[in-house]
Amino acid sequence: MQLASTIRGTRYRFGSVTEVLAKANPPKSGDDLAGISARDAVERVAARAVLANLTLRELRENPVVPYEQDELTRLVEDELDDQAYKAVAHLTVGQFREWLLDIDTAGPTLRAVAPGLTPEMAAAASKLMSNFDLMTVGAKCQVVVRANSTLGLPGRLSSRCQPNHPTDDVEGILASAREGLAYGCGDAVIGINPATDTAESTAEILRAIDDLLSRNRCPTQHCVLSHVTVQMKALELGCPMDLMFQSVAGTEAANKAFGISASLLQEGYELIQAKGTAKGPNRMYFETGQGSALSSAAHHGADQVTIEARAYGLARRYKPFLVNTVVGFIGPEYLEDGPQISRAALEDHFMGKLLGLPMGCDACFTYHASMTQDELESLKVLLGAAGCTYLMSLPVGDDIMLNYQSTSYHDIPTLRRLLHKRPTPEFDAWLDEVGIWRGDGPGPRFGDVEAVR
Amino acid sequence: MDALRDALGSADPLPPAPALPPIPAPPARVYTPRPEKSAFAAQAARHTTALVGIGHVGTRYATDVVLQFQAELAVAHAAVGAELPDGWAEHNGFVGVRSRVTSHREFLLRPDLGRRLDEASLETVRTRCTRNPDVQVIVADGLSAVACTQTGKALHDAVVRACAARGLSTGTPIAARFARVWLEDEIGQEVGAKVAMILLGERPGLGTGDGLSAYVVYGPKIGNTDGERNMISNIHARGIVPDDAAVRLAALAAAMIDQKCSGVTLDLGRLGEVAGGRGYRAPQVRQRLVEHDR
Repeated sequence: MQLASTIRGTRYRFGSVTEVLAKANPPKSGDDLAGISARDAVERVAARAVLANLTLRELRENPVVPYEQDELTRLVEDELDDQAYKAVAHLTVGQFREWLLDIDTAGPTLRAVAPGLTPEMAAAASKLMSNFDLMTVGAKCQVVVRANSTLGLPGRLSSRCQPNHPTDDVEGILASAREGLAYGCGDAVIGINPATDTAESTAEILRAIDDLLSRNRCPTQHCVLSHVTVQMKALELGCPMDLMFQSVAGTEAANKAFGISASLLQEGYELIQAKGTAKGPNRMYFETGQGSALSSAAHHGADQVTIEARAYGLARRYKPFLVNTVVGFIGPEYLEDGPQISRAALEDHFMGKLLGLPMGCDACFTYHASMTQDELESLKVLLGAAGCTYLMSLPVGDDIMLNYQSTSYHDIPTLRRLLHKRPTPEFDAWLDEVGIWRGDGPGPRFGDVEAVR
Repeated sequence: MDALRDALGSADPLPPAPALPPIPAPPARVYTPRPEKSAFAAQAARHTTALVGIGHVGTRYATDVVLQFQAELAVAHAAVGAELPDGWAEHNGFVGVRSRVTSHREFLLRPDLGRRLDEASLETVRTRCTRNPDVQVIVADGLSAVACTQTGKALHDAVVRACAARGLSTGTPIAARFARVWLEDEIGQEVGAKVAMILLGERPGLGTGDGLSAYVVYGPKIGNTDGERNMISNIHARGIVPDDAAVRLAALAAAMIDQKCSGVTLDLGRLGEVAGGRGYRAPQVRQRLVEHDR
């Protein structure tokens, strides 16, 4: 395995595959904070030159966290589809990038190869790709999942309705959820981050949303994003629950800081399969985000893009209905500004889709990051063009509990008009029936909350 | 190719623009939903500060909504970008210290440096501060120097009074620049405080750049984790007012000294509503920011 390259007569040597992966990463403040990034742009390209010549087999044999130290590495290694792996193992990362970009490499082929890819392979390819490369391949991937509705079909752009409230006032949550539905938002899920992490509160919110959806015969899913153990208790209380949520990270140690493990997720998965109320087989919802492992000092010296891909490697075991990266929420010490947040969003979408996940994105910023509202709006268009499965949606994009800026109820219909996209077929039919959205534009009841009882 | 051009129209590929009809002014749409105009807005306003019932123009916002939104965003960004004025600490009766951070950008990017005192400040704390207080109170800029200058002094003084009412000593008043929460660990450790309490500007939300958060830890020492802290957020004139927050904070400090612990292991049951739970947040109140001069 060759870990050195030469640029203009200067030889660059790297100590490990992990170091090559880290130094090949585009600039990220989180990698600087971890002290693992390339010292300048030339060393970054030198690392990419090394990476381009490593084979996918070498990446499998050199995971960024050793097999003995980490259950995520073990699960990925032990459960990899050997036939799919063998089809691409001989390719270098540079060749793999070219194969992905080839017009003849279409969605069904990418779907077939996904189970044979390790997270490190997806991360490595992203490091050799520009934003357009990431979008081109992301848009080709086919990932279609089904709960109460069918998510991820071509030409569709869905949204999570996120009617959060700082004190879990159910009437306040319902008012916001109704407004969201009246703008055609919420076909991916109506998902609430609760302020109070108790089973009773989770159950109370779920019952209220369940009533709202059945009263209006609205075909979507509901979820309350409390800790998985809390949702399991709520499910045991006998409340309706379409999707079970959990935040996940890319190393065993980082997940420990979240209070979870693969076996706990397996328990949750089995419980929602047995007792969940969704009609379809995909019933899990995961959120991720670059930098979460470093924030709990659990990154093992690996860069935040590669660690992020490993979270997807864990998520795919549970056949989720939704996975999204909460890309700008973590703050400027991990993603400093608009270009870094936008790049990370496109990387995460690409890596997740390539690994076979229904990737959405919470395109967002906190108010101490250097990102403007215009940059955020641009990012939503990039994600829509890249085939992102869903975005969030909130009143004016303002989360009154979590204090950050995301996608708004007005942004989703705007994007659908700009990009000629539709919601899920089931939700599309409901919107047409109620008169909120007809064809490719607003219907007579668009924005009219009284249309949603 | 010529045939293709002809098919697209001979000279001008678009037909002539139509005659303009009269363009009436659109109806007024305002940012703060008008409860008197809509039963939904009235009902919603009793339960949430989320901006619902604001209407739309096409699929976008009305002009008034755009302006109010931009004003809220600007207030948040201004709060993040502000720095404590030179001499603010001394002018307000505090001993001034600073973290190892040397610039505002570095403050945002290097939380590790914001958690430790620079050498001169360490010396200041060692030589100028009363040792072994029950509670060491520190006011700090955190992510909103605006919140610190607006409410920091008032909250500090209220906490000192509330602690005194419980017979707790509070040591030398300290104000810290470029400070993260964990800076309380080093300061508290150096002065030998039983409890350290940092009152610092919180990450601004839309239109709310002036909130303070308080983080309290028992037995402060470098290496304390967040699980060992209790916190109260949203302390400002339109959230939890400083006097109420101070009563809660003094009650928390007293309970920590009594139980010799803090954070997840602290039993709040005996405190009841006064301490407001491990992390208490009162709902914010939304203000209209832009007024049009007539």
